[in-house]
Amino acid sequence: MKGISKGIVYAVLGILVITQIYPLFWLVLYSLKTNEQILGSSFFSLPTTPQWHNYKDAYKSGHYLQYLGNSVLVTVVTLVCVIVFSSMVAYAISRFKWRYGPIVTLIFLMGMMIPMQATLLPLMVIFKNLHILNTRWALILPYIAFATPISVFILSGFMRGIPAEIEESAFIDGASVYRIFRSIILPISIPPIMTVVILTFITIWNEYIMAATFISSEKLKTLPFGIYTFVSQYNVNYGAIGAFLVLGALPVLIVYFVLSERITKGMVAGAVKG
Amino acid sequence: MNVLKVPARTIAVFVLPCLIIYIGLVFVPIIVSIYDSLLDWDSINKAKFIGLDNFKTMFAHDANFWPAVRHTLMYAVFSMLEIPICLFVAALMNRYVKKANTLVSIYFVPVILSTVIIGQLWKTIYNPADMGGMLNGILNSLGLESWTRSWLTEPKIAMYCLYFVSLWQYFGYHLLIQFTGVQNIPQEVYEAAKIDGAEGFKSDWYITYPMAVPIFKISIVLAFIGSLQQFDLVWVMTGGGPAHATDTISTHMYNSSFLSLKYGYGSALATFLVFVCLVFTVVINSVFKKVEAKYS
Repeated sequence: MKGISKGIVYAVLGILVITQIYPLFWLVLYSLKTNEQILGSSFFSLPTTPQWHNYKDAYKSGHYLQYLGNSVLVTVVTLVCVIVFSSMVAYAISRFKWRYGPIVTLIFLMGMMIPMQATLLPLMVIFKNLHILNTRWALILPYIAFATPISVFILSGFMRGIPAEIEESAFIDGASVYRIFRSIILPISIPPIMTVVILTFITIWNEYIMAATFISSEKLKTLPFGIYTFVSQYNVNYGAIGAFLVLGALPVLIVYFVLSERITKGMVAGAVKG
Repeated sequence: MNVLKVPARTIAVFVLPCLIIYIGLVFVPIIVSIYDSLLDWDSINKAKFIGLDNFKTMFAHDANFWPAVRHTLMYAVFSMLEIPICLFVAALMNRYVKKANTLVSIYFVPVILSTVIIGQLWKTIYNPADMGGMLNGILNSLGLESWTRSWLTEPKIAMYCLYFVSLWQYFGYHLLIQFTGVQNIPQEVYEAAKIDGAEGFKSDWYITYPMAVPIFKISIVLAFIGSLQQFDLVWVMTGGGPAHATDTISTHMYNSSFLSLKYGYGSALATFLVFVCLVFTVVINSVFKKVEAKYS
């Protein structure tokens, strides 16, 4: 009896592995086929000779490196700003004695419920008036703004638990608030900061609609928007589209392969605390 | 809790940079959007104040509005139905699988990919067989030719195809959350139950599921709020078409604002979306407060 139910469970879990992974594997096969093979042969056939030139086509005509570079730049700048800004606010609302602390906390909490799409139109008008539409700032600024609520929430939750004695003794030794923050609070807060980095990274790296709305110049497009552009331009070169999708997925897959445990832990922490 | 008394200037240094960006780019746009929703404003004519007329049009005259609302709510319902399954699978994994963490991280792979990639991938899978679509290919090779169809262009089924992709993508996410919750139930509880004669599915029913309620709630809230805001996937795969058959509130909003260039009306839809999100967050939280009170 036990053996049978165990067998059934393994079978179900195995099927789930196939349904979750096979489509991605299929995409890799797809990307290595010629158009004729894609259109003519059955779905599970292997490519007769891998068409590596699909990757060459995708790489050459798709500005792949440019999109990748833009994504890296935007993500890194945003991450640095989010860490600095939100840890400062988190410190202020968790440790300082001031009248407006609870209100500021509430304001940040409310942000977690606001749907980002609702701000697209007003933001476009605002950015146009500030003359930063179609610049990197039009992405970095809203990315920071929408990443801060959850970051402040996670960080302030952690900082509340830091024993006050540490700060008191540092204060007696003559350290300023800034010094305490930089040399004591930030280093202790590395674990929740990692959580914030992971959550923000996954969100921003994959963000599409703001990029598609605020950016029009080819030079500034980030990877998801770039993929979208490529697919709509090369809609008959199936193999190259597949190759571009694989290339687009690759960076985040590599990061995930290296840091999978951290990433899953970070995502859970983000979900639970959010 | 608050230990440091610092001068106002220091507080300002710590709080203001972030607060200004945040208020300027999240709160101000929402308020602007609410104001814009009261205007008759498009790309050609000057904006004119018309009170609540946009909302009247929205509720009474826009044939595409209520279907979009229905699709959005159905999205929420479907994505919540997935979570009991995730909890069930998580409980099974916890009981039967030794290296369950590895398995969870395999299931999690689709979650980290951009919706643009997921959407394009599934568009290709749903393609007609003569365009290399996998799903129709599978049906053909199983001898089910009559089931093959052009999945994303038939208005009646296109929406379900989109629901399915979302369920597929976020399965790993909710499984991970549920699994973490199940793992955190102390082993002693199960041992005590074993002495009382509860094992296997019985212990799942009396221990795992009730004790997982708080984490279950988290998944439900995330799935629900996420579905209300559902945009990217629909946009990438169908753009709300064919003929609005797959519109959600946010794609309808985007279409009205950025393609039809009805800025005022688009803002009214955006305001509605914000309102719905706020109301449902409050409602779900209060429902679960009651459920939790019952189980603890």
